[in-house]
Amino acid sequence: MVYALAGLSLIALLVIMIERKVYRIIIYTGIFSLMMAGIYLMLGSPDVAMAEAAIATYATIFFIVVAERYYKKYRKRGEDDATSATAYEKPKKGPSIAKVLLALLFTAGLGFLFVNFIPDINVNLDLRTLYLENFKVDVGGQNPIAAILMGYRLYDTLFEALLLVIAIMAVSHLSFYDGVYVKEEKGDQSHVKRDKIAFYSIRIISPIIILFGIYLVANGHLSAGGGFQGGLAIAAFFVCRYMIHNIYDLPVKKVLKLEEIVFMALAIVAVIMVFVDTASRVSEEYRFIFQSVHLYAANFLVGIKVACGFFILFYRFVAVERLKE
Amino acid sequence: MANIPILELFSIVIVFASIFGLIVSNNAIKAIVFMTTLNAGIITFWIALGSRAGTLPPIFETPEHIYLMDYMADPVPQALMITAIVIGFAVTAINIIMMNTLFRKYGTSDWKELFKLTKEQYVIKDGVCPDDADACTIAKGEDTNA
Repeated sequence: MVYALAGLSLIALLVIMIERKVYRIIIYTGIFSLMMAGIYLMLGSPDVAMAEAAIATYATIFFIVVAERYYKKYRKRGEDDATSATAYEKPKKGPSIAKVLLALLFTAGLGFLFVNFIPDINVNLDLRTLYLENFKVDVGGQNPIAAILMGYRLYDTLFEALLLVIAIMAVSHLSFYDGVYVKEEKGDQSHVKRDKIAFYSIRIISPIIILFGIYLVANGHLSAGGGFQGGLAIAAFFVCRYMIHNIYDLPVKKVLKLEEIVFMALAIVAVIMVFVDTASRVSEEYRFIFQSVHLYAANFLVGIKVACGFFILFYRFVAVERLKE
Repeated sequence: MANIPILELFSIVIVFASIFGLIVSNNAIKAIVFMTTLNAGIITFWIALGSRAGTLPPIFETPEHIYLMDYMADPVPQALMITAIVIGFAVTAINIIMMNTLFRKYGTSDWKELFKLTKEQYVIKDGVCPDDADACTIAKGEDTNA
């Protein structure tokens, strides 16, 4: 089964290489990522599979589609305006054969060297045994991955969250082109023409999505799931909301502020939990309460942060599309 | 040649195929897509490495799961790869928004066209600077920091 999925994903990658139409490339990327998520699930990592399915199959695809729609709009305008110096010209032929052969030689040689001189890796399993045996006492919960993310390697998670904040700031600043600012628009714009099947199916699915997201966040330390995946699902609800009502009314700046505050709270929780050190300083009667509070707080903060971040990213991308020239 | 399991070999193939695609592709969207597949290949390598110990998900929902511990996958690379996925997405988002900015300025998402257009901007015609003063100083070679 794993090998079948691997073969299908290789075929999808081949199609991405050969295909010229951008929308087909995007669809095959989605298929590729879905196959990858299946492989991760088969290899015993449901958390990574969930994150990959959510991010690569939904978020990346969605953003690339928005970008491509934007490009298409401008390309048409360029074709109409033939005198414009930046008029888009469709490339008539692909890359030259020499270039392809050189690139093929280079990457194939590099890959051969990589495979040939790779040392015989004897995977060291000490850390695995240590974490699997001790995580219930040290951090608590039933999911060692959540325990590693929220306990043993909480600073890792913290700086990764910081990186996401920086990326979001970069995106929101880069999308204010020359001071052009898209204002929030109040009210329903239901006069816009939409596809009926997509409209009603999204309308049915969206409450289930937000419920699933909250379940994933709250249940993250007991089963597969966690803050990242749940936050993504909650952000997906807002995407659905935009798709149903076609409104741009939520305040992006306030959400950005909320995200910064949540990030500060996460940092404070991290520092407190590292110095309290529940495993050695709290007696066994109260340890469970401390650990539960810590895990719930960390998961919820990460969930809110990721949801806010993806919400802002999505709204900034949509704002690019909604710009009126 | 080292004895490598098939799935790890598969992930290495994906990584180098993505690098090949990055070199060859002219379209910016295609390049961004290959960045995501590159990321997926690296993640697959780590997950395959972690599944050498076993392929059961490392979750202890009932007390009896403790007897299955020897067949469970390694949780450490999984936890690392969740962060890698989120960071990979942040990189993709910044890639797309930078490409949007370039597209807004030059009106094309083709690398060759973009190189041509950016070169045109830096050529000084008849001793008169074009409208962009920064570009002018870079072209003259006065700005050593550029």
